[in-house]
Amino acid sequence: MDDRQGMELERVPSGIAGLDTVLRGGFLKGGVYIIQGVPGAGKTILANQMCFNHVAAGGRAAYVTLLAESHSRMLQHLRPMRFFDETVIPDRLYYISGFGTLEDDGLKGLRDLLQREIRKHRASLLILDGLVAAQETAASDREFKKFIHEVQMYAAMNDCTVLLLTSGNPGPVRAEHTMVDGLVDLDDRVYEVRTERSLQVRKFRGSGSLRGRHPFRITGDGLVIYPRIEAQFAVPSHLEQPVGAQVATGVEGLDRIVGGGTFAGTTTVLMGPTGIGKTNIGIHFLSRSSAAEPGLHFGFYETPARLRMKAAALGMDLEGLEAQGALEILWQAQGENVLDELAHTMLDAIRRRGVRRLFVDGLDGFMESSVHPERMSRFFSTLSNELRGLGVTAFFTWETRDLIGAPLQAPIYGVSALVENMIVLRYVEVEARTRRLLAVAKLRDSGFDPALQEFRITDKGVEIIGPFNGYEGMLKGYARSSDNPGLPGSFSSKRPSR
Amino acid sequence: MKTILLVEDEFGIATVLGSILEEEGYHVLVAANGQQALSRLAEAPAVPDLVVTDYMMPLLDGVGLARALRDEAAWQNIPIVMMSALPEAAVRQEFDDYRAFLRKPFSIPAFLHRVTTILEEEQTDAPAAPSAPET
Repeated sequence: MDDRQGMELERVPSGIAGLDTVLRGGFLKGGVYIIQGVPGAGKTILANQMCFNHVAAGGRAAYVTLLAESHSRMLQHLRPMRFFDETVIPDRLYYISGFGTLEDDGLKGLRDLLQREIRKHRASLLILDGLVAAQETAASDREFKKFIHEVQMYAAMNDCTVLLLTSGNPGPVRAEHTMVDGLVDLDDRVYEVRTERSLQVRKFRGSGSLRGRHPFRITGDGLVIYPRIEAQFAVPSHLEQPVGAQVATGVEGLDRIVGGGTFAGTTTVLMGPTGIGKTNIGIHFLSRSSAAEPGLHFGFYETPARLRMKAAALGMDLEGLEAQGALEILWQAQGENVLDELAHTMLDAIRRRGVRRLFVDGLDGFMESSVHPERMSRFFSTLSNELRGLGVTAFFTWETRDLIGAPLQAPIYGVSALVENMIVLRYVEVEARTRRLLAVAKLRDSGFDPALQEFRITDKGVEIIGPFNGYEGMLKGYARSSDNPGLPGSFSSKRPSR
Repeated sequence: MKTILLVEDEFGIATVLGSILEEEGYHVLVAANGQQALSRLAEAPAVPDLVVTDYMMPLLDGVGLARALRDEAAWQNIPIVMMSALPEAAVRQEFDDYRAFLRKPFSIPAFLHRVTTILEEEQTDAPAAPSAPET
């Protein structure tokens, strides 16, 4: 038996979506934590949200303000939030100001007041909002550290978890940071013209936490934190499934080329310019969704209504599959998305329904949402590993910029290591006409027909016509007769074989 | 000059309400909590004409203060105005022996109207002072 069993420190969950994941279960019972951030960063909402969640879970809380927003204003601002429950005030959640005491009796008076309030209200959670006012009252760093230390001792002996809220930019270590059990920074940064909020646990005694910055939003539910994908799934939540059966793409000719389909649990990227047929291949793939293989369309472009119409025009009934529960269409408007929010929304939908067929239209939507483009390679690598662990067979589209002729560029550095399969779709100019080309560039652990294939889109969807014979240079976008390779622009009149 | 005891733990609110009452010509005693209010009362040379108190405060809250006033013969008839950010129902289920309730945040005119109305009512209800004997 492990001697450490039973020695786990007791936690006080914040009840805030994502935060307990970052904290690996919540704050430690009886610990004292500084929540620090610039004005407007979300400290007060976080602390109040935790109070209401704590009370809803059976605890009791006291909220003490110093020079902060008035209680009436604060409650007025909190009232529209879904966690707010006026009926718990004042019996289980009590709001008071400690500023008068601080003014009259200094830090010692404030310490006494906090101790009395913890005892009087039997508080298991105490918030002190406006720590900076207490700090300004202290005659020296030593006196302030002594105050923190005394609060810490009393809180620990009363099993009361304390959050000290203070304004200030994330930055250098200050005296009080060395005293407390943890330090959480809330930040709100500008990236070009947009902003993104983030949370970082800079110190957390007695426990690990998810390191680095994690984006968050303030919503009608309060703070929602989206743990950074690379941090949360550094190790996939599930072990990779053994290579399973092949999963049909739903495009008959394509399945033939790849020997029956892509392997279950693999990720495929469909690269090609706009209008080439990437979404159509995705519709084929999702049209094979069933109760045994639930499907998810996670897209940024076509709305669900347009997607259903598009599928219907190709003779595929997505609406029927939705009605049966075999398919879900999650459309993400292309506003100012948060990269990790998108990934969590997608992973939640996958877990909720045990999704096996995933079509993401497309990778660009994720990349455009990122304020840190340098993350993308690791982000997709981690996401692919997690999808693999969940046994999801995925197709991602990637829109290339140029319609014809430009060299192909992989969307992300090191893409080959991220995805198992890659299919390139291109327009090719042949005899002053554009035709569609499909090339399987990579198919892990499986052989495939390397011939460049011509395909077309009919009222039955994507149809593979057959290999382009008699031409070369097609991947450059301009087909050249292989009979006259030295004569660019000299085209054979021979039609490709069908 | 009428005297008002203002009991409020939020420094900003106490300062603003106190100065407005003084501008209106009242003598104002200010306390940051119920316990401090009882000390002010004990020290005051005369019984105040009105107590305006917040509901949630450290040490002794508004209800605790109001009960203490009702238990003391010298103070039991002082009219009380209760203030809170909570709905009145939350306060009333604990204590209802107050003259008026003000839900925060409120406007200054509404506050002054309530205070002057109560003080005028008190004036009207008070027994007429005996007239001075003619000389």
